[in-house]
Amino acid sequence: MSAKIAEMLWVEKYRPKSLKEMVNQEEIVTRLMKFVEEKNMPHLLFAGPPGTGKTTAALALAHDLYGEDWRRYVLELNASDERGITVIRSKVKEFARSKITGEVPFKIVILDEADNMTADAQQALRRIMEMYVETTRFILIANYASKIIDPIQSRCASFRFVQLKKEDVVSRLKWICGQENVVCHDDGLEAIYEISGGDLRKAINILQAAAALGEVTVANVYKVVGLAHPKEIREILNLALSGRFIEARDKLRELMVIYGLSGVDVLKQMHRELFSADLKIPEDLRVMIADYIGEIHFRIVEGADDEIQLTALLARLSLLGKK
Amino acid sequence: MSQERDRIPWVIKYRPKKLDDVVNQEEAKEKVLEWFKKWPNVQKKALLLYGPPGCGKTSLVEAIANEFGYELLEMNASDFRRKEDIERIAVRSSTIQSLFGSEKKKIILLDEVDGIATKEDAGALDAIKHLVEVTKTPIIMTANNPWDQKLRPLRELAEFIQFRKLEKRDLIKLLLRICSAEKLKCDEKALEYIVERAEGDARAAINDLQAVGEGFGEVSLERAKALLRPRDKERDPFETLRAIFSASYAWQAKNALNQSQLDYEQLRLWLEENIPLQYTNLGDVARAYEFLSKADTYLGRIVRSGDWDLLTYSIDLMTAGIAVAAKNNPKDKFRWTKYNFPQRISLMSKLKEVREVREDLAKIISQNLHISTSAAKSDVIPILRVIFLTNPDYAARIAIGLGLSEKMIELLAGSNKTNVMSYYKKYKEIMEKEAKRELGSVTHGEGDKHKKSKPKPEDKKEKRDLLSFSKKS
Repeated sequence: MSAKIAEMLWVEKYRPKSLKEMVNQEEIVTRLMKFVEEKNMPHLLFAGPPGTGKTTAALALAHDLYGEDWRRYVLELNASDERGITVIRSKVKEFARSKITGEVPFKIVILDEADNMTADAQQALRRIMEMYVETTRFILIANYASKIIDPIQSRCASFRFVQLKKEDVVSRLKWICGQENVVCHDDGLEAIYEISGGDLRKAINILQAAAALGEVTVANVYKVVGLAHPKEIREILNLALSGRFIEARDKLRELMVIYGLSGVDVLKQMHRELFSADLKIPEDLRVMIADYIGEIHFRIVEGADDEIQLTALLARLSLLGKK
Repeated sequence: MSQERDRIPWVIKYRPKKLDDVVNQEEAKEKVLEWFKKWPNVQKKALLLYGPPGCGKTSLVEAIANEFGYELLEMNASDFRRKEDIERIAVRSSTIQSLFGSEKKKIILLDEVDGIATKEDAGALDAIKHLVEVTKTPIIMTANNPWDQKLRPLRELAEFIQFRKLEKRDLIKLLLRICSAEKLKCDEKALEYIVERAEGDARAAINDLQAVGEGFGEVSLERAKALLRPRDKERDPFETLRAIFSASYAWQAKNALNQSQLDYEQLRLWLEENIPLQYTNLGDVARAYEFLSKADTYLGRIVRSGDWDLLTYSIDLMTAGIAVAAKNNPKDKFRWTKYNFPQRISLMSKLKEVREVREDLAKIISQNLHISTSAAKSDVIPILRVIFLTNPDYAARIAIGLGLSEKMIELLAGSNKTNVMSYYKKYKEIMEKEAKRELGSVTHGEGDKHKKSKPKPEDKKEKRDLLSFSKKS
């Protein structure tokens, strides 16, 4: 009973545990299975778009190598969370220090979002990879292999994960719906594919939220997307453009508190709204506003204060809208 | 003997001893007395009296202690205000009272709390907060500048009561009284000069009077002018804003910041809040914000480059820039405006908590789904919000599955929080009962199990136990 009460996120619940369960990226999976057979592997680099199975493949490989308590032999790091190469170095060092006694003579470090590291940090990483190679193998995961410096690439066996095909995504979603006893409609699943752009993780997240609304229909899918993206951004734009500056500013503050959006997040969403057909303004105004949003974005990048900059932007919009 | 007495500074010698001696603060006096008489049956256990120097804040507290027969436990800016010092006074105030019931009752006076140095008096503010929370003794604090960032944590704990600047005629009366007590012949013009200079500060006026008059037997305008040069006064935030907005010349606006209680960091927040209140024309408002935005950009560049030479440009823009921005409606510059305290500062503490909850939530998700915390925030939290807003039953089960705290549920569910929580509690109860029952069946039902001993139910049982165990921990 308890097991039925606690619900997981489907992305995790239906993540293939073993390489055998993986249904996509067949060639890569076959190659990885060979590593398991040999109980040996080089450093690996998994590159490809988000939601194509890179992390899943890395975890499944570890699972198949070490068995059920694979977690003991794997250190997961995320380059965008673990700031600084020194943190990575010290964690890796500590992890690599203890020798393992099992059949597999090395441990694995999975370094996700490795392409977010600066070139300098990657140079340092390269040395770490060399230093501990006896005891530790790295699996680097990146969206773009080109952002990984050559010396690292040349030390890794590279695997290119390809974008999932529409049929693959839809059939996986349908399979999950079957497991969950959720009624789904084909056009609803296709809508999810379109919105997620082939990113299976994103697709499964949307699927779960749509299922929480009842059936997976086109209407529910779009309801999820609408609710997930704060509609307040458009309201703020409209308020400002109709000259109601103070109301726009108050709304902006509320938004930043509730959603915890950063200044740049807000600017990006505004920019998206700016070119949607729902915003009825002259075309030349769109361009002028885009220019000013870009200018404000740059000021924030230069270290200016999010709220002051956005407030100044709203003041300018209020003026432009009036004209 | 008489010489001895004369060495006492007049500000102490002529300090108000009775409530009636405290002049021109009727409103504040009434509020303080009401609070004091009701204590401990008051909303907030502490007061913070604020107002310009020398307007009678400390004197009022002393007069109250005097008239009602209380002992005053006082700490002021010259005392050490480290955490231990404040804790000591707290201990003194409460323990002595309970050990010797007949002891005089006490008032704690923390004078000039805005003078606490955040670095040197480390932890002092936290100690004060704690003291207010547990006190069995009335606590009264004083401060000149209630807008000081440091005092923010006290806003919720203490009632803030404003004291006004003293009027000129009150000060003249006070000086005349001292003159007659000291047997000084005094020139009215000289007293006016002193009072003018003091700008409502009784302490400053009495000190000046003593400087000009003591030992000479008279107070003359000539000597007053020779001895006393005009004083620089600090402007409070409202005066600062008024001075900047109304400046006709760039230098006036720049001076306004030099003489302000605000520093440039604070000024930019006050301007952010108040530009659209002073200026009404949208063109002027946009122009002013553009200058503020650029001033702020310079501050960012200073942090990036470490080059403090850039500060001057930032200050130019946020003072003179704001002053010259009212091109379309220059009359607005002089419009009387009721300024707002920066909302951002009051939102900040709230924001901080929300931010921390969100960070913790992102961390849970990131570990669960093997993604970065920023991906958790931008991709997963919005999706969870949809579920928590629309399907409280399902949301509660996810909350249990992920091990979310009540605060996290609140963050995700917003107005739907109570619905989600009621399911959450219901499920928690069921799970606890399950866990208990299974615990019972393991110990008592041992025999039963062996009868049916097939591996399958065994397996199930084990899984369940594991689950309920991990939920509890």
